[in-house]
Amino acid sequence: MMADALRIGVYVCHCGTNIAGVLDTADLARFASGLPHVHVARDYKYMCSEPGQELIRQDIREYGLNRIVVAACSPHLHEATFRKVLQEAGLNPYLLAIANIREHVAWITADRESGQKRARAQIAAAVGRVARQRPLEPSSYPVTPRVLVVGGGIAGIQAALTLADAGKEVILVEREPTIGGHMAKFDKTFPTLDCAACILTPKMSAVKEHPRIRLLTYSEVESVQGSAGRFKVKVRRRPRYIREDLCVGCLQCIEACVFKALKIPNEFDLGLAKRKPIYLPFPQAVPPVPVIDPQTCLRLRTGKCKQTCVEACADRQAIDFEQQEWIEEYEVGAIIIATGFRTFDPTPLAYYGYGRFPEVYTALEVERLLNASGPSGGEIVLRDGATPRVVGIVHCVGSRDHNYHPYCSRVCCMYALKLAHLIRERCGAEVYNFYIDIRAPGKAFEEFYERTQKEGVHFVRGKVGEVERLSTNGDGLRLMVTVEDSLLGRVRKIPVDMLILAVALEPAEGAEQVRQLFHISCSSEGFFLEKHPKLAPVNTASDGVFIAGACQGPKDIPDTVAQADAAAAQALALIDRGVVEAEPNIAWVDENVCSGCRVCVSLCPFDAITPDEEKQVAVIDPTLCKGCGTCVAACPSGAAHQDLFSTEEILAELEGILAQ
Amino acid sequence: MQCGLCTSSCPLGDAMEYPPRRIIAEAWNNSLERVIHSPSVWMCVGCYTCSLRCPREIDLTDTVWPAVRDYALQEGIQPPPELRTAFQNLYLYGNVFGYSPRKRLDWARNLEVTVRDLSKSPEPVEVLWLVGCYPSYHPRNQVVARDMARILTALGVRWGILGKEERALGDCDRLFGEEGLFEMLVENNRRLFERFKFEKIVLLDPHAYRALEKFYPRFGASFPAEHYTTFLASRLDQIRPWLKKPINARVTYHDNCCVGRRCLCFDPPRQLLQAIPGVELVEMKRNREHALCCGGGGGGMWLDAFITEHGGRRLSDVRIQHALETGADILAVSCPFELSRFEDAVKVARAEDRLKVRDIIELLADSMGLGEGGGR
Repeated sequence: MMADALRIGVYVCHCGTNIAGVLDTADLARFASGLPHVHVARDYKYMCSEPGQELIRQDIREYGLNRIVVAACSPHLHEATFRKVLQEAGLNPYLLAIANIREHVAWITADRESGQKRARAQIAAAVGRVARQRPLEPSSYPVTPRVLVVGGGIAGIQAALTLADAGKEVILVEREPTIGGHMAKFDKTFPTLDCAACILTPKMSAVKEHPRIRLLTYSEVESVQGSAGRFKVKVRRRPRYIREDLCVGCLQCIEACVFKALKIPNEFDLGLAKRKPIYLPFPQAVPPVPVIDPQTCLRLRTGKCKQTCVEACADRQAIDFEQQEWIEEYEVGAIIIATGFRTFDPTPLAYYGYGRFPEVYTALEVERLLNASGPSGGEIVLRDGATPRVVGIVHCVGSRDHNYHPYCSRVCCMYALKLAHLIRERCGAEVYNFYIDIRAPGKAFEEFYERTQKEGVHFVRGKVGEVERLSTNGDGLRLMVTVEDSLLGRVRKIPVDMLILAVALEPAEGAEQVRQLFHISCSSEGFFLEKHPKLAPVNTASDGVFIAGACQGPKDIPDTVAQADAAAAQALALIDRGVVEAEPNIAWVDENVCSGCRVCVSLCPFDAITPDEEKQVAVIDPTLCKGCGTCVAACPSGAAHQDLFSTEEILAELEGILAQ
Repeated sequence: MQCGLCTSSCPLGDAMEYPPRRIIAEAWNNSLERVIHSPSVWMCVGCYTCSLRCPREIDLTDTVWPAVRDYALQEGIQPPPELRTAFQNLYLYGNVFGYSPRKRLDWARNLEVTVRDLSKSPEPVEVLWLVGCYPSYHPRNQVVARDMARILTALGVRWGILGKEERALGDCDRLFGEEGLFEMLVENNRRLFERFKFEKIVLLDPHAYRALEKFYPRFGASFPAEHYTTFLASRLDQIRPWLKKPINARVTYHDNCCVGRRCLCFDPPRQLLQAIPGVELVEMKRNREHALCCGGGGGGMWLDAFITEHGGRRLSDVRIQHALETGADILAVSCPFELSRFEDAVKVARAEDRLKVRDIIELLADSMGLGEGGGR
């Protein structure tokens, strides 16, 4: 392009006081007007507003501008807005450059003078690069109208049903032998005290019956390739040694197992109840197909067993000891991750005596005790069968604690109040809540707090610092709790029979592998990171990958369900558009220069590069390339190029920065 | 966030008019002048439990509490008389007892192994051993010092001591808010240590070790230091062949606060004990991070009567009950304060025939066939 044909316009945004409160925007505009090829430079209060946009459009028409620089916020926010402005004014939208003087300068600068310098550098860099930008055309490709949902807790169930009801095919992958997640373990839910099973199990059955949902339990995603609109996923299916297509869920096999007694701690009951080597995690499990645990099954472990289960199954022949792991492949257009949470293990807090005193429980264990299908049939009883007379609940165990998790786990206050209510209802015990602050900000939460107070639940403001044994046989109360009642201003020693630890919620086991598998990011605590905390709460940095539920951060059931539907809506929006328009910042190989060394082939994280055996060159599939630039940087002969990030553009940008 | 975990964790929190949480609240409210007249100010025994557990990681033991005491002293509040004497002695004689520095070597009189006194003949050594005030002067601890000298010699370590030039490191005064006295001791010790060539300093006193490790560097006095438990545990392979005489006993170990909770080092002392043939190591119900303090730190050693009066109990008496509950024959310790405190507590509990208090050094020396058998 002829240099004298360049006519650049520069627009410096005040962003209210976000930028103008720190930087002298008028000075920046004056500075920009002195840069090469700049014909117009202005500053304005809100460039992203309609009058701001119109200002650019008018200038393009009036002055014949052919390149635009907007010095404002991160391109993540308004690059698309201003590209549209260019398009509306008849310019190719990729002749725009954004100088990020808000996030990169104004918001992080205490010293105005150095900030002003750095803002000038950013503008000079953008003017330098925009001069070398070329018009580009985005490519587009069709979307596979199918969604992968990872995780079969309430979030995954809700998202899957919403999508399937909208007519989309859904692949629902769950690691455990049954869907239902944590919610299936609860008895009642706060603050309405709905029976968890009554509201969850219909949805679980609906998943199973839905013609458009393919349910893969006891399975994990093995690999993910491709990008938004056309992912290819491999799912590893673990053998349950019982064929789902043949089993009718009569459970005769469990009855018939040579293990007559229940011996193995049941994972679903957190070890509070026992199961056989062949088992169904809980009565309403979906699918209602038992699973055989190869670690304890005599036949699978030793090869020697009477195989009474096979006998019981008889003609159905659903039991298959030869079953092996297998891989299934699916093509999907969008992915929803709903891998949930796990609860904090309080063992390291030795002073609470978890694991040392059998009377100390985690809240999740007590949820199982309260559940009618749980280990005690819904009765609140201690491990030795006795009914507790006084129960203490310690809040914030592992939460709001810089030694473990600094964040508030959000649901503990409310589940502690719920447990307090249910315990009083079931066994009439006195209940003490040891809390720091009661956080009850949800709908009808405060009312529920007041209700438990009226029911006679005690509230002591202070964190328990010591638990000691008083008696073992239950003659007197069993444990002594030491707490500073910070409202009374004195240390209290309160004897209890049972102590419940309201443990924190933390990222699920394996969250880090999930994160890497789907190329998403996480917060420092390990919860998956949304694209924008306010305006893109279920999107991730990876297009086409959405998150829902507690994998994004601790949350209760209503919020989880709302988020799951939001994720489903986002997935629908992507799929129903039918095509994905790809950012034209992709890489391409100059065949005349490429030596066919294949360095790029193995480096490409998206498997977008294949060697052309005939021509001995690398070929980049533009529909798979995500524009990460790895191949461009790695290419030893300089054959790989990337649009919007050409060497000339980058060098011009650096020149602009370094010249200031 | 005023959760009160510091207070409920404090071994004396229930007895304090102004427990740790309250002190922070008063500080927020700019009303610390109410606090400094209370006996509470002098009741922290520096056990680090609150600091370790604080959900907001507030450094109560090493920062907040000394600051309150410093403020009290500046406002002219007199600390309890026992402690005042200890401070004066420290200032005048470099030890809390008020003994003459010339008597620092008394412990080594008639010792059969050679003691390299660097203050007389400076020469490069591998280990500069700071014997410490208690092992130098206190008869029961002098036995430990002699056993340590024998072990070091047997291991072929080239070691030396500072003889009459050794002075206290000043850890407890710092915790006590006597920052000025502490700085003076740091400066004197820095100049003293810099005169000699050594690879590392080894100490018997965990409080002094903690001071050297955590606070001396703040004043530009950085010296490589190890508590004897980690030093000996790192040489366990060398020690093992020596450990021939079995000690057939149930042994329980009391974690001292400074090496334990403050420096989070729990395994080396246990490794040493388990290396001794015949020793069956049993744990008290409160151990490692959760161990209960003996009550001697942070100046508590010189405030026994004061704290017992205001706290209603002596922590060493509570702790000895924990040891007795295990059914152990021997309570192993690794801190000079503990030897005397727990031997007293055993007497109070009338359990002298059931439980002996012995330093790990003594147990090692006995098994190595070198020990004097102190406390046996």
